[in-house]
Amino acid sequence: MRLLRTIAAVAFALAAGAPLFGASSAADLPHVHVQLIAPDAQFHPGQNNAGLYFKLESGWHVYWKNPGDAGEPPHMKWSLPPGVTAGAILYPVPKRLPLGPLMDFGYEDEVVFPFQVNVSGNSAGGAPTLHAKVDWLVCRGSCIPEKTELEITRPIGQGGGTVEPDQQIWARLANRLPQAPPAGLKIGFVPTSSGFRLTVITGQRETEASFFPSKPDILSNPAPQAVTTTANGLTLDLKKDENLAANPKELTGLLLLSGNRAYELVVPSGAPKPAKAAPLESGPVANTSSVPTTSAPGSAAASPATPAKTSLVQAAFLAFLGGLILNLMPCVFPVLFIKGLSLLQSGAEEKHKLRTHGLVYTLGILVSFWILVGVLLGLRSAGSHLGWGFQFQSPVFLSLMAALLFFLGLSLAGQFEIGLTLTSAGGSLAAKQGYTGSFFTGVLAVIVATPCTAPFMGVALGYALSQTAIVTFAVFTALALGLAAPYLALTLQPAWTRILPRPGAWMEVLKQAVSVPIFGTVIWLAWVIANAYGAMLLAALLVSFLLLAIAGWFLGRWPAKRWATAVAVAFLAIVVVTSVVVPKQLAVSEQAPTQAGSSAGWQPWSADAVSRYQSQGRPVFVDFTASWCLSCQVNERVALGKPEVQKAFADANVVLMRADWTRYDDNITRTLNSFGRSGVPTYALYVPGESQPRLLPEVLTPGIVTNALAGLTHGSTQTAVSSSKQQ
Amino acid sequence: MRSCLHIVFLSASMLLFALIATSEQAQTARVNAPAPAFTATDSHGQAHSLDHYKGKYVVLEWHNQGCPFTRKHYESGNMQALQKQWTEKGVVWFTVISSAEGKEGYVTPSQENEYMAKMHASPTAALLDPEGKLGRLYNAKTTPNMFVIDPQGKLIYSGAIDDRPSTDLDDVKGADNFVSDALSAAMSGKPVANPHTRSYGCSVKYRD
Repeated sequence: MRLLRTIAAVAFALAAGAPLFGASSAADLPHVHVQLIAPDAQFHPGQNNAGLYFKLESGWHVYWKNPGDAGEPPHMKWSLPPGVTAGAILYPVPKRLPLGPLMDFGYEDEVVFPFQVNVSGNSAGGAPTLHAKVDWLVCRGSCIPEKTELEITRPIGQGGGTVEPDQQIWARLANRLPQAPPAGLKIGFVPTSSGFRLTVITGQRETEASFFPSKPDILSNPAPQAVTTTANGLTLDLKKDENLAANPKELTGLLLLSGNRAYELVVPSGAPKPAKAAPLESGPVANTSSVPTTSAPGSAAASPATPAKTSLVQAAFLAFLGGLILNLMPCVFPVLFIKGLSLLQSGAEEKHKLRTHGLVYTLGILVSFWILVGVLLGLRSAGSHLGWGFQFQSPVFLSLMAALLFFLGLSLAGQFEIGLTLTSAGGSLAAKQGYTGSFFTGVLAVIVATPCTAPFMGVALGYALSQTAIVTFAVFTALALGLAAPYLALTLQPAWTRILPRPGAWMEVLKQAVSVPIFGTVIWLAWVIANAYGAMLLAALLVSFLLLAIAGWFLGRWPAKRWATAVAVAFLAIVVVTSVVVPKQLAVSEQAPTQAGSSAGWQPWSADAVSRYQSQGRPVFVDFTASWCLSCQVNERVALGKPEVQKAFADANVVLMRADWTRYDDNITRTLNSFGRSGVPTYALYVPGESQPRLLPEVLTPGIVTNALAGLTHGSTQTAVSSSKQQ
Repeated sequence: MRSCLHIVFLSASMLLFALIATSEQAQTARVNAPAPAFTATDSHGQAHSLDHYKGKYVVLEWHNQGCPFTRKHYESGNMQALQKQWTEKGVVWFTVISSAEGKEGYVTPSQENEYMAKMHASPTAALLDPEGKLGRLYNAKTTPNMFVIDPQGKLIYSGAIDDRPSTDLDDVKGADNFVSDALSAAMSGKPVANPHTRSYGCSVKYRD
């Protein structure tokens, strides 16, 4: 307080003594001393330093240009004599000011907001007075809006000399402005499940950093920003604002590193690139109210996308067809084996029993589809924009699925006996269990089929999910019937079963052989887990495999002993519990993009990047993929990765982007929905000048892709030439 | 033989677990998502639950009678006019006070009733939230901070009350009121043009 009064007194004394001085350059308001300062005794023609100085009572603060969760930055309105202009005020490096669960960005103690005063060359002589209306918000426990009018006068001339204490204040505080990033600094960001990961490369190990976003509503302000030191810099994990609709193509803000190194910069998305300086807001400071940031991306994403107009009958038919083809998809292959196996065992039974088996199997598929669609609808209405295949994005589900299949594989390989072989043991109980077996074979078929969105299914599902619950159920029912149809037809037309071989000892061999594709599926699931959630979770999964093997050993060594069963069930319970608990502890869920997103030639996808390239007139091809989607992997290998396809892409100057849906991603889900699709694979070709992308089929051949690109090559000859020069 | 049934049962429970685990979603207030459910007590000691108002539009107004931004809207009569206008059309209007005891804007029930009588305020009820539970549930940041929930329970607007982030009474006139915009649009079956804006005002005075 005392210092404050002293400064005020000095200011007043100086003001009184200054020649040609009109009104006051300083004012004292509650909790604040505010002052216009100019360190030089004379204004020179050209640029001159000046600043708005605040001296605050302890605990009170004023705000940065982005005030954070609450508050307002200071505003100035100038009245300037002819020949004089004032630049925008510049904002020094702010502090994070936590307030309970909120976070503001601002300044405590004292701060100078520098600005430039520009005096035109021919206005020599005289002493212009700069008059400003200043308003600001000063807060501690409560907020007080304050305003005042300030003036500062300096004679114009070439003379030297400084004004104390303006010069002292200037010398002490004006050097706290952020700098343009140095040449060696590289920076970039990638989206994570909860926000963004900034990678900063300075060439040395960095231990401290914080990032202040220039714009509100991009980041969650109070969220801690986790620093991970790397050999040549660091990474910084930022949480996004929960209402952020689309990921930005770049982040503008202030990066603060240890030792008060502060850079105002634009962070590009993708791999670290040499940092660009943030553009300075130019022009005189008006009462710029940047507040109602009614983000255009937000409203764009909120407006419902128009799904492809597909009639209900057509969609149901497509769903049925999709279901049929699902039987042939690689994901379903192991289940097909099981189905074939149970059919062979049923071969000896009477016709009506066969029929019942078929119907129960169909029922199993139907019921699980209904449960799945019920959950999907429930979750969708709960605001989670989820899509088909979502359960394979949950590490818990992946672990349990892998464990279940591994256990089933052990049994089939002959470690112990369950399920299907028991049905042929005879008796009415066996028959009953046979139906249970059929039912769960149906259930299993559905679960494993899910991640492979077969051809036609994407359209049907996208249509169904954008419709009312009843329509969705109808379409999913058609899909289920399609999946069940081949087996059902076989059981309803017993004549066809005659072409099946007679049961015999070979069945045991076949059963054991079936464990091979089952174990193959287990390997695939383990690979997905390792890929998406890290080695720790994989290790946990392998331990649970060991526990399952022990459980199986008890069941096989002491069959039909109650205590052995109890021990096995205890082991299984441990596996279930750990599978549910461990992923939450160990999953590296915030990991940088998974493998699918980062292969050579492909950029990670972002909606903004797509529109940016489009506005540059470049076509963009987006591969919506996930590591758990086998059809996607197949397409990437047999079509997209082929040299002739890559050449076609290069010739048409197409930007290649990969949207990795291995882990759940809200933006990707929304984008897929906007195409009327709800799953992967989806291939979108954005052609400049067309608002909607062209969608390619879900099963790709090199021909399909090159044909789709053929039309483009002519249209963009110019750019194609320039791109081939670069190569 | 028994083990077979056990295994079937276990597989089923594994699936169930997985589905439950997948459906676990943190409840936060996001526009165009279901508004988080709450039950809170008003200044007359009566409990209000959001579920109870399904079928009606619900407005939440974060309030702090000491905050100059809030005072702009009360001293100009703007907030009272909005409350009257919309509650007459069947909208449920809750004034919510999340100031912790000892902090600016904290009121006892009788103080709040006195204040409402003095200001001629007519919200459906003033919910007292000194623990900040409701405020944190909706992530209310400032006073005022406005939320509009549609009859299906979906959050259709969150953010500022209008487009003039100031404490100047003169700014009320001619301001674009986002709450009225959202309610008018939704009631005439149109999408809300700006479903989320950055709210302005004093920070909510939560318990530390």
